Order: sequence, then C-alpha cells, then structure tokens
Amino acid sequence: MLHFDPYSPAVDADPFPYYKRLRDEAPCFWSEEAQMWILSRYADIVGAGQDWKTYSSAAGNMMTELPNRAGSTLGTTDPPRHDRLRALVQYAFLKRNLEGLAGPIRDIARGAADELRGETTFDFKDFSAKFTVRVLMAALGLPSGAEAIVDEDTVREKAVLMVQSDPRTRAKGPEHLAAFDWMREYAAKVIAMRRAAPRDDLISNFAMAEIDGDKLDDREVLLTTTTLVMAGVESLGGFMMMFAYNLATFPEAREAVVLNPDLLADAIEESLRFNTSAQRFKRRLMRDVTLHGQTLREGDFVCLAYGSGNRDERQFPDPDRYDVARKPRGHLGFGGGVHACLGTSIARLATKIAFEAFHEVVPRYSRVADQLAWMPSSTFRSPLVLELAVH
Amino acid sequence: MAKITYVEHNGHATTVDVPDGWSLMQAAVTNAIPGIVGECGGSRACATCHCYIDEARLGDLPAPEEGELAMLDMAAAEVRPASRLSCQIKASPALDGLVVHLPETQG
Ligand code: HEM
Ligand code: FES
Repeated sequence: MLHFDPYSPAVDADPFPYYKRLRDEAPCFWSEEAQMWILSRYADIVGAGQDWKTYSSAAGNMMTELPNRAGSTLGTTDPPRHDRLRALVQYAFLKRNLEGLAGPIRDIARGAADELRGETTFDFKDFSAKFTVRVLMAALGLPSGAEAIVDEDTVREKAVLMVQSDPRTRAKGPEHLAAFDWMREYAAKVIAMRRAAPRDDLISNFAMAEIDGDKLDDREVLLTTTTLVMAGVESLGGFMMMFAYNLATFPEAREAVVLNPDLLADAIEESLRFNTSAQRFKRRLMRDVTLHGQTLREGDFVCLAYGSGNRDERQFPDPDRYDVARKPRGHLGFGGGVHACLGTSIARLATKIAFEAFHEVVPRYSRVADQLAWMPSSTFRSPLVLELAVH
Repeated sequence: MAKITYVEHNGHATTVDVPDGWSLMQAAVTNAIPGIVGECGGSRACATCHCYIDEARLGDLPAPEEGELAMLDMAAAEVRPASRLSCQIKASPALDGLVVHLPETQG
C-alpha cells in the first residue's frame, strides 16, 4: 500500500523516493494522513497552479496554516483581492528597483563571511542566518542598529518557528502559535514607527502605498509585514542552506562555481529545481475535478508538491542528477501563476552575492555529517544544522 | 487544447499543443522555446515574457488588464499595439492556430 505522510520525519529527511512512487503509481493520491490530495506530476501541478478559479488559495496555502492568516495575505487570497494586494506591494520587489540594494547586500555578505575566517569547521547556518536577517532588515526596513527594538537572532528564531509544525499532533503547537503572535506584535510596532516617520524602505512604502485612492487597511499591512518577514527569513535562509548542502555534496559543482562565479546563477536555478526549500503548498477546490480517473470534490484540499514536479522525468531528463549546466527552464522552485513567489528577484540576487562572498573566504569545503537533522515542516525542507569542514 | 505557433526573432517557428488554461508563457518555457524567459513565473512582475500577437487575431483575446499594461511598459524590446505579456494569455479553443512573434530581446 502506498502512503504519503507529509508530517513524517522520513519525508522531512528525503521525500524524493516517495514522490517517485506517487508520480508513477498514483499521480492523484488521497493522503489519509494529510487529509488532502497530492499532485506530484509536473504537468498537473502547473495546470493547477495556473487555474486559481478552481484551485483557490483563500483557505490558506501553507500545508499547516496559521490561525487567522488565510484570506488576508498575498499567499492566501485569490484574485481580484490578491491582485490588488500584490500591485500595492510588488513595486519595490521588481528587479530594476532592487539594484540599489546590491551594494548594501554585498557589505552584509562580506561582514558575515569575515566572521568565518580561520574556522576549520562551522555550521553554515551561522552564516546564512546572520546574512538573511540582516538583508531582510535592510530591505524591509526593520529597525536595526541603534534603532533596533529586538536583536536579530530573535527575529530569525521566531520566523523559523512560525513555519514549523509539531510532528506528533500534525498541527501548530503552542510554541509555533506564540511565535506567530510575537511576530504580529513586532510587525505592529515597526509599522507604527514607519507610519510616524516614513523612510525609503519597503514597509514604509506599502504602509503608505496608494493606487487610485485605494490602500491597504491596517490588518492587511500587519499580516503582509508578518508574512514578508516570515517568507523572507525562512525561505531565503532555508534555500541558502539547501544550496550550500548541494555544493558541499557535489564537489565538481562547487569547484565550477568557485572558479567561475558567473555560473552561480545557473547553479541557483538548478538548486531551485533539484531540492528547493519550498517543497509543498496547498489549495482548496472550488468545484469538482476529475483527474487520472479520480473525482476530487469541491471543498477538498489539494497539495501541489512542487519538489516532486521538479523531479518529474516526464519534464526533466535524468531528474535526480544535480547538473549546474542544466538551465532548468520552467522549474517550480518559486511556484507559478498568480501566486508565483514575490521574492524571486531579491532571493536570486541575495543568494548570488552571499555565495560570492562566502567562497572568497571558504572556497573548499565538504559536509561533516552523513545524516542530517531536518526541520519538521510539512511545507518547507532544509537541514537544521549543516556542519561544514574547511579544506 | 490550442495549437500555438511561436516565431522567434530569427524566424524559427515551433508549433505546440497547449492545454486549456495554460498560459502561453508556461507552454513556451515547458517546451524549451527560446525567446521567452518568464523570470517571475507568471505573476506579472518581470515583462520577460513579452510577445507580439498576430494582429488579425488580437480580437480573439480578452483585453489586457491595467496591471499587464503597466508591466508591459518595462519590456526590454519595442512595445507595439500588438504587444502582450504571454503569461497573461490563457490557451483556449478560441486561440487555436494563433501565431505569436517573439521580440529580439527580453532584457
Ligand atoms: C529562495 C528563496 C525563496 C523560495 C524558494 C520561495 C518560494 C516560494 C514559493 C514556492 C511560493 C509559492 C507559494 C504558493 O504556491 O502558494 C512563494 C510565494 C511567496 N514568496 Fe517566496 N520564496 C523565496 C524567497 C522569498 C523572499 C525573500 C520573499 C520576501 C521578501 C518571499 C515572499 C513571498 C510571498 C509574499 C509569496 C506569496 C506571493 C503571492 O501569493 O502572490 N519569498 N515563494
Ligand atoms: S512571466 Fe513575468 S510578467 Fe510574464
């Protein structure tokens, strides 16, 4: 019997053999454990991702959703509400509007990399965590330095807790909900600061943004800020862990990008395909759908297993090979359709700059441990610790 | 399903069957057609999926929304009356046989 339990530690550690069986034997599979349908083939996920009228995000998009979030954030609204929110927030995230951030991001990357000088072994998270939180603080305009209202480690810790779920109860535990509440309160304070004295940063920008007299209401500003901190810190940090994991595991790939940093962009795309940190999101059906001989009912939840679509041999030849020269067009590492990631440009830019700086200090490294501890999350996948040995 | 023909700037043409509901950007990328990038994944945030629709068929397409027009302004190649973002055009039987021309550059 086929099982797929997105809450099991075995899936946290290595979902790919499960995905393969699902794609081959049951491409539209009802998971008892998750109480939802699992779509695992590339073409089915792409089709669903583009059909927001049928596959709605309004009941939440994280596999295990946080209370009172659905319906008020970019990821958890459908058009036209979604498009209105996105238009108000998107401007600052467009590639051309991020150019000014490259310099500050490079300074942050060099600073974080410098702290690794002389180390013989270290946890990559020390680098990725510092880097991501500082970059997000700079980009979003979260108060830092003399203005800071909490230290950066706390912000990161809470952002990471928010996306986890309890492996036993399969739900958000008290610590996860407390982290969400903490983040909401923190966001409320920051918004109040920026409203009182707006600056040239993202939060000031969209707290004040107006299109044809329309602006975000207080709840929308608050939940959007909360989501951006969470999505930014956890997604970017988690992805950098996965990228480092791949480069530490495949020495030829690492040597190639160290020798020629221009290849980093391609290696990043291949990592987004090969084992992206954002593995699974969900939708809810707005009508009955028939797929691979199964009838899915209106109201049912459906998981889009992006990480599986990215390994679908029907779309990507030799999918289990990490090949930095692949240029995997159309991968699902950032999702697709109206809900495709808002942070694509800043994530690509920041990761590239981070690894350029990291490789200047640590060009040769490998993994210390064979077995890693993986984050308990039904949506995201990254190692909790990534011990690296410097050669 | 609709048969869509993509004509690259160098004249090279490819015809693919596009399932209903799929965007013309997605079908191009999935079928490895050069000339459409689709950097933002279809969320109307990059204008690297710019294309020119066969003028005679423009009327078969729903008109662009304001957000599409705003983003088109950022396209790298010349924007013409027949310019559209291919991620905003969904395949349907009404589009069968459509020819789309791809610009010289997506930036
Ligand atoms: C490499 C790092 C990242 C990865 C792999 C990633 C992945 C994703 C994926 C797969 C989705 C689609 C979710 C769905 O289908 O429901 C998404 C949406 C989103 N991401 Fe990212 N993300 C990353 C970085 C970021 C950053 C840095 C930010 C913000 C600062 C961000 C903000 C968002 C937002 C707001 C959405 C919802 C967009 C919408 O529904 O319109 N992401 N991301
Ligand atoms: S793919 Fe980015 S705007 Fe069309």
